[in-house]
Parts: sequence; C-alpha cells; structure tokens
Amino acid sequence: MPIGAVITTLVILGFAITSPIDAQDTATDFIRASIKTYCGQCHEGEDAATERDFSTLSFQEADLDAEVLQSLIKVLELREMPPQESPQLDPQARQRLIEELRQLEQRAAQNATFPPTPIRRLNRFQYNNAVVDLFDLKCVVFTLPERIMREHHGYFKPASGKMADVVTVGSRPLGKSQLIEPRLAGVAAFPQDLRAENGFDNRGDHLSLSPLLMESFLKLGHSITESKDFVPQNIGIWNQFFEPPKEEKKPTEVMRNRIRWFLRRAFRRPPAEATVDRYVDYAKRQIAEGEEFSAVMKKLASVAISSPKFLYLYAEQEGESKNATESQPLNDFDLATRLSFFLWGSIPDDTLLTLAEQSRLSDRTILEQQVQRMLRDPKVKRFCDSFPAQWLQLERIISSTPDPERYPEFYFLKYRKSMHMMLEPLLLFETVLIEDLPITQFIDSDFTYRSKLLEQSYVKLTNPDPPKPPDHGPVTVLNFHRVPVNDRRAGGVITNAAVMTMTSGSEETKPITRGAWVAAVIFNDPPEPPPADVPVLPEHASGNEVDLTLRERFALHRTRADCRACHQKIDPFGFALENYDAIGEWRSQYENLRSIDTSGKLFQEHAFDDVIGFKDALLAEKDRFAKGFAGHLLSFAVARELGPADQSVLDSITEASVTDDYRIQSIILQVVLSEPFLTVTNSLDEVSGQ
Amino acid sequence: MRPISRRKFLCGVGGAALAIPFMDSLAMAATKPVVAKRMAHFYVPIGVVRRGFFPGEQDDIIPEGNLGDVMQSLGKQNPEFYVKRLESLTPTLRPLESIKSKVTLITGMDRTFQQGTDVHAQCACCFLSSAKPYTVQGTAWPLNRTLDHIVADQVGTKTPFPTLEFSCNNHRDNKESIYFDNISWYGTGHLAPSIRDPRQMYQRLFSTQETRRNRDVTDLVLEDARSLKRKLGQADQHKFGEYFESIRAIEKQMDRLEMMRSELNKVAFEEPTEAYMPRGDYIRLMGDLMVVALQTGLTNVATFMVGPERWDTPYMFDGLFDKPRSHHQMSHNQTNTIDDLLKIDEFHMQQYAYLLNQLDQIQEADGTTLLDNTLFTYGSGLGDGSTHQYNDLPIVVGGGGHRVKSGMHINMPEGTPLANLWLTQAKLLGLEISEFADSTDVVSAMLA
Repeated sequence: MPIGAVITTLVILGFAITSPIDAQDTATDFIRASIKTYCGQCHEGEDAATERDFSTLSFQEADLDAEVLQSLIKVLELREMPPQESPQLDPQARQRLIEELRQLEQRAAQNATFPPTPIRRLNRFQYNNAVVDLFDLKCVVFTLPERIMREHHGYFKPASGKMADVVTVGSRPLGKSQLIEPRLAGVAAFPQDLRAENGFDNRGDHLSLSPLLMESFLKLGHSITESKDFVPQNIGIWNQFFEPPKEEKKPTEVMRNRIRWFLRRAFRRPPAEATVDRYVDYAKRQIAEGEEFSAVMKKLASVAISSPKFLYLYAEQEGESKNATESQPLNDFDLATRLSFFLWGSIPDDTLLTLAEQSRLSDRTILEQQVQRMLRDPKVKRFCDSFPAQWLQLERIISSTPDPERYPEFYFLKYRKSMHMMLEPLLLFETVLIEDLPITQFIDSDFTYRSKLLEQSYVKLTNPDPPKPPDHGPVTVLNFHRVPVNDRRAGGVITNAAVMTMTSGSEETKPITRGAWVAAVIFNDPPEPPPADVPVLPEHASGNEVDLTLRERFALHRTRADCRACHQKIDPFGFALENYDAIGEWRSQYENLRSIDTSGKLFQEHAFDDVIGFKDALLAEKDRFAKGFAGHLLSFAVARELGPADQSVLDSITEASVTDDYRIQSIILQVVLSEPFLTVTNSLDEVSGQ
Repeated sequence: MRPISRRKFLCGVGGAALAIPFMDSLAMAATKPVVAKRMAHFYVPIGVVRRGFFPGEQDDIIPEGNLGDVMQSLGKQNPEFYVKRLESLTPTLRPLESIKSKVTLITGMDRTFQQGTDVHAQCACCFLSSAKPYTVQGTAWPLNRTLDHIVADQVGTKTPFPTLEFSCNNHRDNKESIYFDNISWYGTGHLAPSIRDPRQMYQRLFSTQETRRNRDVTDLVLEDARSLKRKLGQADQHKFGEYFESIRAIEKQMDRLEMMRSELNKVAFEEPTEAYMPRGDYIRLMGDLMVVALQTGLTNVATFMVGPERWDTPYMFDGLFDKPRSHHQMSHNQTNTIDDLLKIDEFHMQQYAYLLNQLDQIQEADGTTLLDNTLFTYGSGLGDGSTHQYNDLPIVVGGGGHRVKSGMHINMPEGTPLANLWLTQAKLLGLEISEFADSTDVVSAMLA
C-alpha cells in the first residue's frame, strides 16, 4: 500500500501529525497489548489463522493500513472475534479498543485514495439502451434474457409516484414467449456480460474487448442501420438526421450541422471540429460515389457506434491531472455520463448535456434537481432492470430445479413456479423506488405483489394442509396484485419464495448458503469462500445422523477452528430461515418430525427465537443494512469494487439517510453527491509494473 | 427437379472446371492432394409426421390436436439396437432413392428436455448443443457452444470464415425470439447470426464491398481512438490498447480474405437478384451458396436451417398448396392435415436430397467427391410436431466417404443421446475428444 509511504513523506515535511506523542504511545501500547492477549493465540506467526498475522502490525502512524484496521474494527463491533469459546474482552475494553482503532483508521483513511474506475466498454445491456436512446428507437435493438421482468401494458409510471395495484408482467427467462418483442430484425446480440462475484455486470475490471468482440461490434453497427426495421417510423431522429434536407442551399453546411449534433449525442460531449471534419469528409466521399443521402447518414451512424468514443466509458484527463495521485473532480460531461449510466443505463439526454456545456451540472442544487428528474423519467426502468436483480443475485433462481418427486407443486405444464417467484422481489423494489419508501421495506414490508399462483407458495403460513390448488393460471402475461402483508413471516426480500428457493438444494434447504446470501446481500459483507479441503455435508443423512436436525448435523461436522469463526457469523442468518423449505413454503417441523430450532443471535448481540424476531434484530441493525445497501449502490454507480477509502463515505451516506427515514431516493441522491461519485482517480502503480 | 439458371457456377458440373484455382494452389503446395474434411447440418423445424418418415410406424395412431404435454411417441418403437441395409424407403425418405447408398438413416436418438421453457424453445437452439440438463448456469436453456463451432475451432482456423450460418427463414415479421431461429451458437446467449438473404450471403462470400466498408470504418474509428487516448490517464491508456489490438487483428483477417478474393473472382456464380423466388428455388439457391462455400474453401463448416422453429406465420410453399400455410399450426392438427404435412416433409427431404446430389457431383483433387469429404446431416429437434417429443428423432447422415458405413438403417437402443452422434462426427472431423455434451458413447455402427 502506498498510503504508508505518503504518510511518511508528510511526517518528514512536518505537515500532518497533530496528536501528542505520549498519548499516541499509550494508545498504541494498549492496542498492541490487547491484540496480543486476545488474538495472539491464533493470529501470530507464519501459520496464523486465515493468514492474518497480527504480530507484524506495529500500529505506528507510519504503517497504518486502513483496510486492516477496518477489518479489525468490524470483527470487534460485530463480535465475530474473539471466537465465542476463547477468552473475551470485557465490554469496556472492547469499546476502548474499537475507539482507538477507529481513530487510527480515520487517520489512515484520510490519506487513502479511492480506487480508480478503469476505462471500459459498454456492457450488452448498456449498449442496447444507448443505441435505443441515440436513435430514439421505437423498439429494442436485441432481446435481453438478463432483463428478468417483462413489462406488459405499461404499468411503470415513475412520475406518478405511485405503483399500480395490479400490474401485468412476464418472466423473461422462464415465461412463454416473453423474449418476443418488437426489435430490429437481423441484429444479433454479443455475449452477455456476467456479474462480478458479489458485484455487478458493469464493473470496469470485468469489461474488456477482444478482436472477436470488436468484429461483432463492427458488424453490429452495420446490421443495426441496415436492418429492414431501421425505417423512418421506427427512428425518432429520422427527420433530424437521416431525412434528405429540403433546402438546396448549402447542403454541406446542413450535413455538417447534423453530423455535429449526432456525434455530440453519441460521444456524450461536443465533438472537436477535427473529428467533425473527418466524419463530414467520409460522408462527402460516399455522396461523391453516388450514394443517396439517407444511406450515407446510416453508414456514418454505423461508424459512430463502432467508435471507441461511443463504445467506451471513461473520464477525460487533461494536462497535470493525468499524473495526479489524488482524486480530481469529474468534468461536467463525464459527470453527465456517469449519472445517466447509473440511473438510466444509457447515454445522457439533451438536458444533461446542455447543463454540462454550461458547466452547471456539478452545481449541487442543479445536480439534486436532475437526480429527482431522472428518477421520475420512465428510463429509470433500466435501473430497475439491472440493479435489483443483480443486488439480490436473482439470476440464481433460473437454475433452481427442486426435486420434482419431492416438490411436484413446483412444476406445471413444462414450466416452473420460479417463473412467478422471481417477479415478487423485483416488483417490491420498483414500488419502493417509485413511491420513495424506506429501504427497511426490503427487510420487512407491509405489502407485496403476488399472482394467484404465487399465493400458493404462502398458503401454508395459515393452513399447514392446504387443499389442492385449482389451476396454474396463464404462462405468458401474469397479473400481479398488490396485497397487504399482515403476517411478518412473509414480506421483504429475504423470506420470499424466490430467495428461499434459490438458496436451497434440490431436496433440502442450505442454511449456510442462505446465511452467506444474507451476509453478502443485506450487509454487503460476503464471507470468504470455504477452504478447499472441507468436505461437503451429504444431502441425505445416513447412519446415526438420521434423527438429527440439520443444525445438529452441521455442528457435528464443524470442528475446525478456522471454519467455526466464519460460521458463527453466517450460520445464525441461515438457520433463522429454516422454517422455509426448499421451495420457500412454511414448515413447522422437519420430515423426521424433529422441531425446527431457528433461534440465534445477530452479531452476538440481538437474540431471536423465530424469523419475526430475526427481522426485528435486522431492523435493530438497520444502519448496518443501510450502509450495506449504500455500498451496493455506490459500487454499481461507480462501476468498481469499493475500497477502504469508500467506507467513511458510506458512513456519511448512512448518517444522512437516517434523517430522511432511510428513503431510497435520498440514499440514491447521497450516493450521487458523494466524493467517489463526483471524482476520478488515476491508477498509476498498475502501469509502472508493466 | 427443375434446373435453376442461377446454378451457373456449376457450369462445369462433374468436370475439371470446378477445380477452383484456390484448390489448385493448395494442390501444388503439397505433393499429395490435400482434401479438407467438412461438416454441415440441415435442420428441419417442427418435427416430421412419424407415419411417413419412420420405417414400421406407417400404421401408428395419428396424434390429435396439440399434445404438447405428451412428449413421447404414441406408437411403439423397437427399443433394441439393430443395423440393416437401407432398402425400401418410407414415403418421406423417397427423394433419397438415387443417393441412398451414400446416406444412413439413424433412428432412436433422444435428447433431454430441460424443464422451464416452452416445448419448442429448445428444439432448434439446443439441437447441436445438447448440454447436460441444468448444467449451464443462469439460463433455462441447456445451451452451450454448438458442435459446428467446436469443430471449426479445429478445422476452420485457416479458412476465411470459420463457419457459415444459412437460414431459409424469410418471414418478414419478428414473431419469435432468437432461440427459435438459430441452431448455431458461440455459447450461451451468444448466437452466431445466420444470413437469410441470398444476396447478402453472396456479397459476404464474393464481394469486396464489405472489406472496403470495414476499411473505411477502421480508418475513421482508429483516428477517434487516437484522439481519445490522448485524454486518458496512464493506466487507462494501457488498458485501451485492447481497442487498437482488436482493430489490427480484424485488419489482418481482412487481408487474408482479400488475398483469396482475387482467386474467388474466377468463380462464376451469378449475383442473386431481389426478385421473388418460389420457396423451393430460394432454398436451393441458399443451398448452392453453401455448396460453393464448402467447395472453394471459404469455410469447412456450415449450418443450414430450412425454416425457423414454431413461427406461426404462413409460408407460401409454391407448388404444394394454393395458399400460404403455417407449418406449425398444421403440425398441431394432424388428424385433418396429415396429407399436406407429409407433402411439406417430402418437400424438405427433396431439398436435402438436392444438396446431397450437388455435393456429390463436385470432384475433389484426389478424385473423391465433395460429399465424400463432407458429413452432411439431416435432422429435426422434435420427433413429432404434435407430441413435441424430444426422443426418437428423425436423423439422416449423408456423405463421409470411406470413413463411414453408408446405405444403412441404424436403430439405436432406447435412451441413446443425440450427442453420441455429434461426438462421433467431431471425432470423424479429427477432434480428439472423448465426450460431447451429454454423450455416453460414439455411434460405432456408422464407423467404417
């Protein structure tokens, strides 16, 4: 880490340090002694647990590492460490240790820089949206299975601030014919970009270009403008750009103005005159060869969308700032692009570009107004089509195939009930966003959207032996109704049928998988993957384990200390949900008639007995959830993994959101107003290594 | 069959005129004539009428209406393995009469339907993939890189086009999703787009226009790239190098194609016009383009969809019916339309037989025919359009020369995966693999 080096420099120059030396010594001694006493048993020497050797940490100003300090603070705060069976710090000592570490951490974080967001190509979803917006297309470019929910009859009206009581939707990946929609014939999509582990599919370090992909971009650009559906009635900007000009005088001037106008949209900034010249020359050459005006402009458009200035997202750097180690403010055009790709998954509109031209977009009041405007624009559907499904890892439900013999009710015709399940959390998300509700609704909502078929997944909450359902209903266009949730065992994004099913095996639930999901999604704190040499628990109990509960079987198998620490953290999350079976239906006992023990302690602090108590515990820690959620949003917004410097930003966002009752729109606004969103950072060490 | 004037490229059918210059130069380079191994697949949508196609099923019950839930044969198949000579042909197979010594009928091959999509949705797109069900993450389709691309990774590295994808879907509406209209996929969610328009295919194969257009484009975008690069920080400049490298690779590929173009100019194939063509002429013209591409070494691997899966829009089957008919709807109404459906099945078989004959009339440098060096397979993703069964599929393997046993009817034991045939074909094309998709074995009965 270069942070240490930076601090050393500052010390030598006599700038930074203000704390009295002796006070610092005492603090450092206290920290060192505490760590040695309570952590040393496992975390000293070469074979230290999980390769964390604390004996090398000096806790001196010169080599503070924000990341290490943050992880120490976290495990102490959440009481993950020391492990339950080891000697514990008394509460006051724990509190003091946390506070001392936090002071050091703040000093270290002050000098930490935000990780850079590398230049990256558009992903498939963004490319589709950007082309649609650029040409103002009346259809999609290509159909995207990764957009999980299909909207029918236009229920999505963000400007109204109200979600309709009945919405008609379809499941794209599993529903019948849901991928059929007006599109450009003959245009083939490039491969889907995969979601980063515990992240999103827009991550800069994951999006690169290959010759094969570049070739498909060249072909793609051409196939779009040459599609037989690329006709005036489908193209909103036809008259402004493709239609031959009526007035005969100065045709070149007309063409030039149009090209400048078009390139500004496509490249998201006013093009340099030299660039305009090149494109105009190209068009003139084509016309000289006898090509007709519209055809020439189509070709030109196809070139423009193969240009890196369209295909790549990047922040411009001028002069000195190219080598600056500190974060620099984004210029207004890059801000417009970052903003529109965050909330619209696409290029900025004319309003944003014009404000950028006037250098007014970065004005805080105007920026706030623009965020509010963008959240009311129908294009915010793209945000709803990308962020929530990836945040909730909902693509996992597509591959869920519970055992048909054990769960016949999961299947109907050739379809799976997951077709309905996956839409419930997405509709909850859209409602929270459109109606600007508190994000605590994601933990414990007082309403939800369900279809008739989906109601069956929850019927066992009230009737353990329900009658056979009459009919599976339609498979194409599904009606979802807003229903109040009075039983707190339902509602929210955790205890819905989709998440409970996708975190189960084909025959049984997987509490550890569920726990890991809660840790990653709700608290944005994904556990480390298990060591490779740990055998998997067999799905079927055998021998003398037959009469045990799942929890007892796990306890039996979990003897390794290095496993125990992590499992103490995630297991309570998963076991709290054991009342939901492998297809998300309620059960009060296991099949071997043993009762289900869902009790546990959240962060070793909030005891609970059942899932309602668990939700109460989560709500008691809602600031941690809010911080986790803000982290997911920020990571999506800046298209990179978060680093140590982002943590204090997330704390401020969380603090600000408290005053506004955790409303989602205010959290989104805080993300936009945060320093990492408004700045660009160079990555310098990466190059020097090359 | 009516001769078509556009088949002018075959002006020297059966003669030396078809030894294209490119082949000459290849032949000169090596002392022994080197003949490439090729592979092509002819896909028929919506299954066949079982009574007309399968030996021994002529008296089986006619499916009534849409039996989408049945997914198995109404009649009984012999579950045991047997091989016999292909002698008297069933009505649907009859167009193969003249070339039956070079084809093998394979019955009893199955695929596994993966629960979670419409029954038609996996017919075509997963035909050449047959991935083990539920193994491909994040998708409801058992769809992986398809056989043609896996084979082309090995036998298509020197040809300008690793593979070519032909489709005779000339519907003007976008009624169905991509999964119904493509049998060739680079991988899950990444389709290899097919060309449906003979003019477009002709231009891709023979015109220099596309290369020139690409050159214009690369010139312009490279200049954009240079000016963009100046505005980037150091690390970004480094990563952005991928754009320049990609463009350079494409330019190299265009160079290769251009070198070959001058020789291809000597091929006499008349450029297709935009005029309306009866369906049979259109299919055969697309087929001729495929044959010439395989012949000249433009590619060694091709897929050919004679029509799209499902797609209710009626087609005009010129010469068969007075009015446009929907193949899909007819398949759900066999009790009333079985005679007409049989005509469509025969019509598709005629087109396949035509292409077999075309391939067989082209002599290669070593004296064998193009068909002898091409594995050209007829098949459908459904065993019947009404029952929507994924088992007991109609499959005919043509060509392959001395490497395969031909003129046979092989009945595979019940439950044999179709992927066994694909594995066998991949091995015949020289791939050293021991499994493909959900294969369990090779079809050793077809190996010479």
